[in-house]
Amino acid sequence: MGGACSRKRDQLDNGDNLNGRVSRRFCKSGSSKWLGTSFTRASMDVIQGNRRCPSLMELCIYKIREDINKYSTLSMLPRDLSQQIFDDLVYSQCLTDSILENFRDCALQDLNFGEYPGCNDNWMDVISSQGSSLLSVDLSGSDVTDSGLFHLKHCKNLQALNLNYCDLISDHGLEQISGLSNLTTLCFRRNNVITAQGMSSLSGLVNLVKLDLERCPKIHGGLVHLNGLVKLESLNINCCSCIADADMKHLSGLSNLKSLQIAFSKVTDYGITYLKALHKLALLNMEGCPVTAACLESLSDLGALLYLNLSRCNNLTDDRIDKFSKLRSLKVLNLGFDDVSDAILTHLKDLTNLESLNLDSCRISDEGMVNLADSGLHRLKCLELSDTQVGSSGLCHLSGLANLESLNLSFTAVTDGGLKKLSGLSSLKSLNLDARQITDVGLAALTSLTGLSHLDLFGARITDSGTNYLRCMLRNQLCYLF
Amino acid sequence: MKEDMVKLISAEGFEFVIDKKAAMVSQTIRNMLTSPGSFAETEHGEVTFPEISTTILEKICQYFYWSLQYASSMVRSWVCSPMIISSSFLEAIEWEGD
Repeated sequence: MGGACSRKRDQLDNGDNLNGRVSRRFCKSGSSKWLGTSFTRASMDVIQGNRRCPSLMELCIYKIREDINKYSTLSMLPRDLSQQIFDDLVYSQCLTDSILENFRDCALQDLNFGEYPGCNDNWMDVISSQGSSLLSVDLSGSDVTDSGLFHLKHCKNLQALNLNYCDLISDHGLEQISGLSNLTTLCFRRNNVITAQGMSSLSGLVNLVKLDLERCPKIHGGLVHLNGLVKLESLNINCCSCIADADMKHLSGLSNLKSLQIAFSKVTDYGITYLKALHKLALLNMEGCPVTAACLESLSDLGALLYLNLSRCNNLTDDRIDKFSKLRSLKVLNLGFDDVSDAILTHLKDLTNLESLNLDSCRISDEGMVNLADSGLHRLKCLELSDTQVGSSGLCHLSGLANLESLNLSFTAVTDGGLKKLSGLSSLKSLNLDARQITDVGLAALTSLTGLSHLDLFGARITDSGTNYLRCMLRNQLCYLF
Repeated sequence: MKEDMVKLISAEGFEFVIDKKAAMVSQTIRNMLTSPGSFAETEHGEVTFPEISTTILEKICQYFYWSLQYASSMVRSWVCSPMIISSSFLEAIEWEGD
């Protein structure tokens, strides 16, 4: 009973806009999205013939939206109704300054404006009128200024605050929120002006669990102010090019840290030594950092480490890559665009927990593939070999990977003849064969792969007769690209 | 009460006799009418809503029939005359929204 008792918490915390609305103004960095491509792409939902019938609640909300100008206030409504009306107005882009006035003193919990055009300081008064009911507010991409943030002082129970891409906020603005000690999530991506001075305002946010400061180029020297935030579990300082080894020192005491992202910073092997004691660390993103395989020494005792991204590390070579074999807990490993050779596979083959391995553009050849036969990699689900020198003879070594779901062989030397060797991989769901030498003949070998739901043949030379083979494989959700 | 009909009774005592299939669009009513327990409603096929006014209950019954038609025909738009935001309306919304 009751229309909307439960509060939807999923939308706010994510700077990656997983709520479905694409960020209009800003392109996202590749770095923080790497996890999303580490596993098989989800198969397309079966499209239903009939749309779901709107509920009476929805019909009434649409009607209220149409008639919204007739009302001056919605504060007499129960909160869960006014919340739904608000969400609908934002979703349908109907919210304006005057309509927002309807929501004054409504005791709303979540105000997700999320890059809504026109959101500025004028709106902050209504926002602050929600008072101690307000739990989360998303002002990302807005024109709110430092003085606008002053109004948030009335919202003492605020837990989640999103100020991503707010170009008009500076250190002074962070001062305004320094007293919001109930904050658990703070997102403040891409701000060119905040400095270590502004970071000092964060030291009182003792309940902070998640902090996102991706692309803030001036915060070096400021991480010292975080060393008291012992509840911190997730820290994202990707693309903060200023961050260096000295900054890493202040993270060494954050023993609850589970996720740390320092991609494209200046941190070297020495900086990584400060992470030795972070025993809860599960995700570490060092993409584009000047580290070598020597840094793995510092990570070898981290028994919880599941996700490791070392792609685009220009200094990572075969030197000391034997240290990879110590990372026994690893589930996902990304070494894309690294200058590593077949030798890496000899050190990875006993990582029995490994489910996803990305060797895009690495110097892998058929000789290296021998390591995959009779290996410990029984759990491997996703394998990226794009732009490597793997050819048809290397593919026969994959036959033991009984759980392989996703395989990328684009821009490799694989030929039609080689594809026969894939015919036993019945678990395959996604296959990328974007390579010019694949033709209709190769497709014939794939007809046994009845689990395939995604097949990429973009640059291959397929003709109409080749598509006949695909019809045999056609199930509800086959999707192919030409 | 005929087997395939049910009676919904408003706050003012107005009785709406509708198809059982229509009434079952509401999960709440469905539970009341199909529950193996001892709801009085199951016996007599009558449900009373002391908080829902007659005008609102009428609208709700219209919604039930519209909802049944939605799946089987091309009917998509439903003329919804303006609803007054009164406390009983809100009760109806809260009740219907499950």
